[in-house]
Amino acid sequence: MLRYIIRRLLYALLILVSVSLVTFVLFYASSSPQQVARRNLSAKNPTPQQIEEWIHQHGYDKPRWQQFQEHMSQLFLLRFGKSDANGEDIWERIGSGAPASLLLATIAFFGSLLVTISLALAIASFRGTYIDGWGTFLCVLMMSIVYLVYIIAGQFLLGKLLKIFPLAGYQSGVQAWKFVMLPAVVSIVGGLGATVRLYRTFFLDEINQDYVRTARAKGVSEWAILFRHVLKNAAIPILTTTAAAIPTLFLGSLLGESFFNIPGLGSYLRDAIDSQDFAVVRAMVFLGTITTIIGYLLTDISYTLVDPRVRLE
Amino acid sequence: MRRKYHTRKLLVRGIFPGTLTALLLLTLTGCNNNPYPAGETAQSIIYSAISDDPKTLDPSIGYDVASSSIIDNIYPSYMQYNYLKRDPFVVELSLGAEEPKRERVAVTITEDGTTTTTEGERWTFRIKKGLRFQDDPCFPDGKGREILAADFLYTFRRLADPAVPCPIIQYFDDKVLGMAAYRAHNAALLKHQKPSDYTFPIRGLETDPDPYTFHITLSQPYPQLRYLMAMHFTTPLAHEAVERYGKELARHPVGSGAFVLAEYTPKGRIVLVKNPNFRADYYPTEGAPGDREAGLLEAAGQRLPLAEKIQLTIVREGITNWNLFLQGYQDFAGVSQENFQQVMSRAGQLSPEMTQRGLRLHSEVGLDIYYFAFNMDDPTFGGLSEPNRKLRQAISLAIDSQTLIDLLHQGLGQRAESLLPPGLFGYDAHFHNPYRQYDPSLTRAKQLLAEAGYPQGIDPKTGQRLTLFWDNALITPAGRVQIGLIARQIAALGIRLESRAWRYPVFQDRVDTGQFQFMNYGWVADYPDPENFVFLLYGPYKRPAANASNYNNPDYNRLFEQMRAMDDGPERLALIRQMREIAMQDCPWIYINHSESYGLTQPWLKNYKPHPIALDTMKYIGVDGAMRTHLQQKWNQPNYWLLLGIVLLVCLGSLPAVQVVRARHNRHVRRPSAGTV
Repeated sequence: MLRYIIRRLLYALLILVSVSLVTFVLFYASSSPQQVARRNLSAKNPTPQQIEEWIHQHGYDKPRWQQFQEHMSQLFLLRFGKSDANGEDIWERIGSGAPASLLLATIAFFGSLLVTISLALAIASFRGTYIDGWGTFLCVLMMSIVYLVYIIAGQFLLGKLLKIFPLAGYQSGVQAWKFVMLPAVVSIVGGLGATVRLYRTFFLDEINQDYVRTARAKGVSEWAILFRHVLKNAAIPILTTTAAAIPTLFLGSLLGESFFNIPGLGSYLRDAIDSQDFAVVRAMVFLGTITTIIGYLLTDISYTLVDPRVRLE
Repeated sequence: MRRKYHTRKLLVRGIFPGTLTALLLLTLTGCNNNPYPAGETAQSIIYSAISDDPKTLDPSIGYDVASSSIIDNIYPSYMQYNYLKRDPFVVELSLGAEEPKRERVAVTITEDGTTTTTEGERWTFRIKKGLRFQDDPCFPDGKGREILAADFLYTFRRLADPAVPCPIIQYFDDKVLGMAAYRAHNAALLKHQKPSDYTFPIRGLETDPDPYTFHITLSQPYPQLRYLMAMHFTTPLAHEAVERYGKELARHPVGSGAFVLAEYTPKGRIVLVKNPNFRADYYPTEGAPGDREAGLLEAAGQRLPLAEKIQLTIVREGITNWNLFLQGYQDFAGVSQENFQQVMSRAGQLSPEMTQRGLRLHSEVGLDIYYFAFNMDDPTFGGLSEPNRKLRQAISLAIDSQTLIDLLHQGLGQRAESLLPPGLFGYDAHFHNPYRQYDPSLTRAKQLLAEAGYPQGIDPKTGQRLTLFWDNALITPAGRVQIGLIARQIAALGIRLESRAWRYPVFQDRVDTGQFQFMNYGWVADYPDPENFVFLLYGPYKRPAANASNYNNPDYNRLFEQMRAMDDGPERLALIRQMREIAMQDCPWIYINHSESYGLTQPWLKNYKPHPIALDTMKYIGVDGAMRTHLQQKWNQPNYWLLLGIVLLVCLGSLPAVQVVRARHNRHVRRPSAGTV
């Protein structure tokens, strides 16, 4: 297993360099340093001299290869430096935004796992009945609704009609739960349709296996079959799909945080792209790549835990 | 064994779900939608929202509204705008002890080796004694020291430092004697990665034996300096703060204003609290006509600031802010296209629902102009030749500003017929620009088009319809509506309009480098002097400076050079009228509108009056915290009955599942061999 992990980490290095190279090339393909300078200078009409000075101060006048070399060495040393747009220390910003994002995303992540698995199992256990039919129909219906509608409906129902949660806002510390409940509920409900439908098919695949028939023949109760056997065997595809959500735990969710005023990292990358803040873009893309790679590596390792037949070699 | 089974069954079926439901309901009954800590809203706090993080809180750099609305409340300047007076706007003393004195002096300027003597101006400023900076660790013992004249001069040196991208440096660097040389000297140092040299002399900045007095000498008479001394760029800066925080000054302001920064959470909130070192400043005792009746003079003579704290929440989505405002958790809200129907009645008044809540409506008239501009270097549409001038006049006659105002701005704002917006010296409400009078039949426009050599919009050289390329940054859905409208209006003349929409930085780059034929832009006043508008067509300020169309008429330029140094009076007015006439005939721009918008405030907010220029206005606003708490509680009682209804509905919805389980169980009991898959 150790050899496997080392090999995967070496691949990861290659992926990191490639992703950074693509980001670098795309950045220069989409905008010139002059445009970036103009975007980040606060004047109505920056003078050519100010533009030139800004480019010089931020090192965008160096040869491209030298910029890329510096860019890579800084990233690998995890020295992200300062934002091009406002001079803010990038690590400091990540440090201040990550706790809120992490709290919200963790609650939403585990809440969503619990709810979707339970619902999918329940629907699967009613297979063939009208409950299964209606359940699947509801899932498809919920998948067709855009996420923004869930946000606005959630704010309307829980914040405006029931008035039990703040519409938006955040306080750190113990009070934080009050503010993350509504976005977490919206996030869980918003992703319910697609995930329940997907997990239902995973469970149905397992339910039709021979070992389930054997268990039934031996008189094992339906709940025990579902929770002890089917769930365990369907865990591998479920783990694979959940791994994709791991980066969002740290990097936040874009729409949710924006509408619920959560001071997280959800909009950090989008804002940086909007304002052509390359220092932040490259740092966040790099971090995103690392968390994705780690997420998938952990998933692979977790396969060995849920299925003893899996060997990592 | 049997007993154990029963206990587990009891736990699983009864006690666990029961306890969980009870806990959940208990938690929910303790909930409310108040986003602030309990009891906080009863205090003297102003709750406001900004749409994004400020770019910077550095007073030498910050220019956008989000940044300035915070900076201005922390950093005062020598002058300030009177909070209540309008038409004309009144600039009065803030940190200044007396009105600046101006005297004409002869100054020598050496340029390209030749020395000339010209008439310049020497200004003398005297500041109040006993002013202090806010307390900050950058000062010995953390106590803010006294502000001296040298701190103002230090600010000017910093503004001219090329490492500090001051957005209004062009107002100073060709006027303050020696500033251009200082900039060049420091630019050379910057190029070699060396720190700026603040000891390099600037001839135009002088200290005085009196530590509270300083002088600024300009190479030309420039009365507008008085207004610039009311901008946050000219606030006195403590060198201790700049040296200690460097670029971090962008997030660590050290000022001397009514408020100091207490908390800054990116994407979260910014909290300003009352500055204990703030000077003795009082609410104005006189206002504009109607202010007394509106209750705006009730606080007359009171010590400022009236509120203890300002909490600015970063609310990115308009709909979120609007809902928070309706719940009473925000003190201000703008009236947008989305909520216009809800706020306004058909009669143009506040709707009954809003009136009942005690909300107040404020009209905010902008000191600005929005316009279309031709590239005057374009061979077809630019230049000062008679046919091209007529072509521009024809297009100007085809664009109907009123339709744009009605459809895009809910009918708010005023059609623009010249450069100057209402409220400025030189604005003439009775003036009618003959090339901005829209006639749906386009008779005159078509006639001018034919005279320009394009009958019915056909270019005789190609036999095709003339095409006008319009560069813009209208990439939003509302922007596309605007593109469609303009294209239809110009198509009615027989000319084809081709829109090229870009992201804003790309658009700005194209404008600055002259890669356009036709574009749309706006200008918001920096200070209330007509010079701040008419300079937009002054030839020498060609792009990338403010004159983006590169209009260059020597007559206009000559008149501008005369008027800019004059004080307001009949002579200046006559020059402004002549310039208006020249620009009207040449038609480098198509004037569209001067903006107006509506804003709402809560009933507990006192003395709010929007000012189109000043942003240091938070100190004048008061709050009735008791009224706010009472109304917030009244408007936000949790609706437990509805919650119970929803819980019941969910229980009812799960009944069919229970029924299926029971039926399946019965089937198992009756026919154990059948099996169900």
